[in-house]
Amino acid sequence: MTTTMMNCDGLSAGYVRGRACVRDVGFELRAGEIMAVLGPNGAGKTTLLITLAGLLTPLAGTVELDGVRIKPGSARTASKAGIVLVPDDRALFTGLTVTENLRLARRPGGTTIAEVIDYFPQLGERLDVSAGLLSGGEQQMLAIGRAFMQAPKVLLIDELSMGLAPVIVESLLPVIRRFVDERQVAAVLVEQHVHMALTVADRALVLRHGEVTTTGAAADLAAAPDVLERAYLGHAAGTDSVVY
Amino acid sequence: MSEHFAFLALGLGNGAVYAALGLALVMTFRSSGVVNFATGAIALYVAYTYGLLRKGELLNPIPGMPTTVDVGGPWGFVPAALLSLLIAALLGVFLYAAVFRIVRNAPPVAKAVVSIGVMLVIQALLAIRVGTTPVSVKPILPNGAVTLLGVRIPEDRLWFAVIVVAMTVILVALFRYTRFGLATRAAAESEKGALVTGLSPDRIALGNWALSTVVAGISGILIAPIVPLVPVSYTLFVIPALAAALVGNFTAMGLTVAAGFAIGMLQSEMTHLQATVDWFPRAGMAELVPLALILVFLVFRGKPLPTRGAIVKSTLGRAPRPQKILLPAIAGVVVAVLALLLTSGSFRGAVIISIILAVVGLSQVVVTGFAGQISLAQLTLAGVGAFSLSRLTVDLGIPFPIAPILAAMVATVIGVIVGLPALRIRGLPVTVVTLALAVFLEFVWFRNTALNGGMGGAPVAKPTLFGIDLSIGSGAGYPRTVFGFLCLFVLVIVALAVVKLRTGRLGAAMLAVRANERAAAASGINVARTKLAAFAIGAFIAGLGGSLMAYQQTVATAESYSTIGGIAMFAMIYIAGVTLVSGGILSGVLGAGGVVFVLMDRLLGFADYYALIGGVLLVLTVIGYPEGIAGQVVVQMQRLRGRFGSGTGSKTEDLDDIGSGATASGAELPTVSADSDTAGKVVLAADGLTVTHGAVTALADFATEVRSGEIVGLIGPNGAGKTTCIDALSGFAKAGGSVALGDKRIDDLPPHRRSRLGLGRTFQDMSLYDDLSVRENVAVGTFAAGGWRRGKESVEWRDSLFRMLGLTALVDRPVGELSQGRKQLVSVARALAGQPQVLLLDEPAAGLATAESRWLGEKLKVVRDAGVTIVIVDHDMDLVLELCDRIVVLDLGRVIANGTPAEIRTNADVVAAYLGATQSKAESGT
Repeated sequence: MTTTMMNCDGLSAGYVRGRACVRDVGFELRAGEIMAVLGPNGAGKTTLLITLAGLLTPLAGTVELDGVRIKPGSARTASKAGIVLVPDDRALFTGLTVTENLRLARRPGGTTIAEVIDYFPQLGERLDVSAGLLSGGEQQMLAIGRAFMQAPKVLLIDELSMGLAPVIVESLLPVIRRFVDERQVAAVLVEQHVHMALTVADRALVLRHGEVTTTGAAADLAAAPDVLERAYLGHAAGTDSVVY
Repeated sequence: MSEHFAFLALGLGNGAVYAALGLALVMTFRSSGVVNFATGAIALYVAYTYGLLRKGELLNPIPGMPTTVDVGGPWGFVPAALLSLLIAALLGVFLYAAVFRIVRNAPPVAKAVVSIGVMLVIQALLAIRVGTTPVSVKPILPNGAVTLLGVRIPEDRLWFAVIVVAMTVILVALFRYTRFGLATRAAAESEKGALVTGLSPDRIALGNWALSTVVAGISGILIAPIVPLVPVSYTLFVIPALAAALVGNFTAMGLTVAAGFAIGMLQSEMTHLQATVDWFPRAGMAELVPLALILVFLVFRGKPLPTRGAIVKSTLGRAPRPQKILLPAIAGVVVAVLALLLTSGSFRGAVIISIILAVVGLSQVVVTGFAGQISLAQLTLAGVGAFSLSRLTVDLGIPFPIAPILAAMVATVIGVIVGLPALRIRGLPVTVVTLALAVFLEFVWFRNTALNGGMGGAPVAKPTLFGIDLSIGSGAGYPRTVFGFLCLFVLVIVALAVVKLRTGRLGAAMLAVRANERAAAASGINVARTKLAAFAIGAFIAGLGGSLMAYQQTVATAESYSTIGGIAMFAMIYIAGVTLVSGGILSGVLGAGGVVFVLMDRLLGFADYYALIGGVLLVLTVIGYPEGIAGQVVVQMQRLRGRFGSGTGSKTEDLDDIGSGATASGAELPTVSADSDTAGKVVLAADGLTVTHGAVTALADFATEVRSGEIVGLIGPNGAGKTTCIDALSGFAKAGGSVALGDKRIDDLPPHRRSRLGLGRTFQDMSLYDDLSVRENVAVGTFAAGGWRRGKESVEWRDSLFRMLGLTALVDRPVGELSQGRKQLVSVARALAGQPQVLLLDEPAAGLATAESRWLGEKLKVVRDAGVTIVIVDHDMDLVLELCDRIVVLDLGRVIANGTPAEIRTNADVVAAYLGATQSKAESGT
């Protein structure tokens, strides 16, 4: 029986008081579990992640890790506790080398640089290159590697596929699966490549207009494409679509 | 030749100070985004602490307590220096923790203004506490001379230089190899990255502040035996240091240090040349060096300061539109007339000074409050007016009303020169340029005995008109009321003119530029010309004020127009409210020598503390009330009015209301271009359009033709290059390839020219002017139609836009009060106000609910029927599929599909781009 790692309850968040972009979101995450957060643009997926990571103070609700409530709105507390975000823009230190980027993130109990290279062999050849000169795929690897170094208990990965060719995304997702399985941690994936995300995730949560509209096992959602397609392509799709 | 080398070597001392202060500037900027104008003042503080410790005293900065504490006899070099540097580090920690941490998310300009406040505080504090007692410091470094290549070089300068270079090497190593250094560089590049890596940007900044104040302190201690300890001169060391740091772009330490040394050495050589070369001016040449260096580097390189990846909020403060002018104007005049008539002697003098300072204050309102350019040279420009007036009246005998106007025009010319760099650069470097220019003018002209009329100042002839003596007089009747009325007359004219400016076309353009240069250019505003106009108008007003000051003092003297005085005046105007006409006038009442000043001085004897209080209030104002005192008054008045007045209804209206305000009669627009023969012709064509950001290609070889009367959708997943494409078409992104509007190639035109030719656009973030009303926002858009149309036709067009978009009831509301959805509509209306041929819309439906989005679609069809061709980017598929005649799909910067909505809907590649490649592979064949 796996234990609950993160418990998020009644979370509301937004940038202006009284105008929440995420409303009353709750979920539980167990060790070894990957949850995909899906939904169209503007649904509040990124807002949810940065609130969990402490970059934004929630308007309401609580986040618990291993049964301990995390101080709201403190990125440092969240990071120290093991909630580690890989933001959609990667937020790499572009002027620093790959090694330097990784070294700054080193934490007791986290991976070593050698272990990161084991997950992403391609980075091993680029250790002394500035992060800014890496290819898009390598930058994403470094951003994920930097998160691995910090002994994460819950990895939050925002738009892994942003600006990357699908083939690269297809190669990155299994690495995250492997890390989560090997280290018995949890991960939340915000992802546009819905079907790719569903092949790697255990569960999924669909947001629309800041509210959870659907939750369920990834496999069930993958088997019911009309639910997702309506969420993404709007009402017009799903009825006229002849793809499926 | 060798004598030149000797003078260059002599400059090593000052050069070392500039280099060290430059290093400190780089450190504070990199770690906290603060361009710290107080760096020189910090060096001064540490130098005093050290100098007094060597005499057996510890400096106590707190006013009201004994100036020094006895530390039991003079201390030796090592303990004195160590304690001084410890105090320096504590000062750095205090400044960050107590002041700059609070403004860490403020824009760089606001942070710099805070540092100007800190500079005033330290400088004024030391001037009060120890400025009058000269502190001589015993030499620290060996003061012999070494002969190098036949040139005698003073040993202390050489040692000083060696120490600073060694310090630089250590610091560079520190930042390259230690974890602290690495973390500093990391946080400077991406604050978000630092946060998600578990680093604390706050602690990093704290460490850097401590380190930077120690570096500044070391230079202060070492220069103290060489340059006499004088508060003002040390404080102004920051100008050459800023020049050096700008050369290093506030990041490169080596370059900064090299530039610092170069400035010091060139200054020394210039001082030598101005004494020996006939055609050189006799003064001010040393001050020219940093100015020239900044101009050369900034104007020719024109690179903005590196931005730190932090979230920036708040601005200079809102500049609300003056609403009721007549009543306040009459009331103000009555009060001023009474004040002039009912006072006498020095109180009447104070009233007159307040009136004059108000004129100068209004010049700052135009330049800073309206156009957003932080100029620290407004008092200097007043000085230009004053000294010119002396020339014009005494040497050339030009009579009264003409002479001050000509003097103001001279100031205008100088003001335009001040403003020229602002065409290539924006933000803080402009401020540094104005400061360097202020110092240069002060030394080359105001303090130059060949030009300033000598000890007694430059005399000014009495103003007379039709034989009536308008002068301030002398003896029993001093100061004469008639002079006060003259000043008041000028103030009223200037104030009304500034109100007129704010409500007029140029003022709207200035506010647009201040708020968002991109959006201004997209509305067809010539950003460069608007900025120059602000500098010119501001300088003219300052010149008029300076002329009045000269008439008031009957001479022009350097002390009245000093750089430090100018900075203190800037502080007062900022405190009073730099965005408001009333703030400019209030700054006169508060200003040095004005009514409040004299009253407080008489009652409390606080004149000494004036600059100190000014500095403290400036810091508090930026932190708490960016709109200043006058802004607070406006806010309170509106609150009162809201409570007791008729009530304008709720401030925020519900999103669901969108569309309800639009009546059926509003569902049509007059046609823009009536010629029906253009229908179906290609109006916008792009070919080979390519945009690269470094190694990443954001848009590759984009080609499309948009025909008149079409609505074309541009869709694709996040990061596909949609906004980049809009930017490339409208001139906001540097792109390869060609763009043609109709038959005309436009790819080499700047954005505002493209806009004027008929290519309108909106922005994803809307980039509206929150201070301006809906009507004003939309009126700015008419710049694109060849200028601010006052014509009936243009007003009718705008009214029909408001009707169509259901905005009629909201036209006088400030946009900042509207909901997200309404703002979208205003941004669409602004783009349409210029009557574009082609309209590029970037996510107009973001923030709209489904029904509203459908409603917007209907309205866009009306726009199309009026003759505007539309290209629309949006994520709302319902809207795009329903509205568009043709859809272009982008993914990873490339066009992957192009066709009718029906074709796009069933295109396997498109579904794959949105939902993932696996799906398409697995199911596209089914």
